[in-house]
Amino acid sequence: MSDVKTVIWVHADNLNPHSQPFKLAAGAPALFVFDDALLQAWGITLKRIVFMYECLLELPVTIRRGDVLEELTRFVAEHDALRVLTSYSPSPRHAAICAALRQRLPRVRLEVLSEAPFVRAQQVDLKRFSRYWQAVKGEALTRTS
Amino acid sequence: MADMRRDFKDREELVAYLREQFPEAAARSPHVSPFIGGRTSAESRLAVSKFGAEYAQTRNYVTGSVTRLSPYIRHGVLTLAEVRDAALAQVSRAEDAEKFISELGWRDYWQRVYAQVGDKIWQDLEPYKTGFTADDYADELPDDIRYGETGVRFIDDLCKELFTLGYLHNHGRMWLAAYVVHWRRVKWQAGARWFLEHLVDGDPASNNLSWQWVASTYSHKPYYYNWDNVLRFTGKKYLNASPRILGNEAFLGTYEVIARRLFPNIDLEHDHSQPHQSPPKPTRFKQDGKKDKRR
Repeated sequence: MSDVKTVIWVHADNLNPHSQPFKLAAGAPALFVFDDALLQAWGITLKRIVFMYECLLELPVTIRRGDVLEELTRFVAEHDALRVLTSYSPSPRHAAICAALRQRLPRVRLEVLSEAPFVRAQQVDLKRFSRYWQAVKGEALTRTS
Repeated sequence: MADMRRDFKDREELVAYLREQFPEAAARSPHVSPFIGGRTSAESRLAVSKFGAEYAQTRNYVTGSVTRLSPYIRHGVLTLAEVRDAALAQVSRAEDAEKFISELGWRDYWQRVYAQVGDKIWQDLEPYKTGFTADDYADELPDDIRYGETGVRFIDDLCKELFTLGYLHNHGRMWLAAYVVHWRRVKWQAGARWFLEHLVDGDPASNNLSWQWVASTYSHKPYYYNWDNVLRFTGKKYLNASPRILGNEAFLGTYEVIARRLFPNIDLEHDHSQPHQSPPKPTRFKQDGKKDKRR
């Protein structure tokens, strides 16, 4: 357990109460921000917001809305945090927010954590699914150790 | 900005609060999905899901035994690994759950492609293989599709499901996507944006890449179907209605007839230069996935 003051940044790609950030920093203050610009850009309807909100109500998390980077910066300051834990996402938007946070708060360590993978294979031909599946099928049909 | 509320006595009160907080989202579509968010609901659904023979045999039918776990997987409430492990725990031989687990594989695959291509996921990853170029397709979704008022009953039924449930069976997604792209010749991006607005399990990876798969901008050939396929996989729903009532004339005919009608510039059914033309391969629209075995 680290003594470094830590906060958790929860995003929509990982709303799991057993996610790695919650495991690694149980009890740490956690924040979720409804990304207003993204909701607008994607034209998200009420159905999804209700579903996500219900997920969030099962997490020990502060819920806000607005600009994610601004809210995250504010949350880090509110808690004097020097470390932020978040979950991996393939989204370029997530990567951009991570990069901006690192630049804005260079003294704060941002750690992006991955869950147990479906398959561990990294270098897989992604040209077509058949090639991918051929390469990973054996591991995919094996229980997580 | 102040913290949002966490204290609600029931779903009704939560929904009322969110309608007030997100009026633009409610104005776009007022419906609330029957899918209840959260790990508790996810675990309950996981516990009753069928992963073996029943899934494999019925998954292509709109009334089939599919898991409907996709909203939970999409939002990380369940991990692919734990769902796979639950599936393997239910069967005596791993091969018995292979169909289901390969569908999880599709999600993993799309996520990996997304990590590789980033925002290019909104661009054609390959040219169309339909005999048309991207410029031949309309940029915007026509209003009759957007509002589910095409006059083609099964298409309009699918639209209503999309609007009210925020979910469609995989076969329904494929039919609707192919209708938009191939029957109406609209760019897949317009359809993908529309799905993202409504699906509770929508994300750019599975959603956009499945649209590209249907369109043929990330596959060897376009996905299309005929009325026999719809009839077979929708059970008795449309069995005795006339084409005039159903508005389904454009779907009548063999695959050869449909292919000539939709793709007059190419000989799709007899083009042996493309490896997946004959016999037709199983196809899919990814989420918790189902196949469409073309006939």
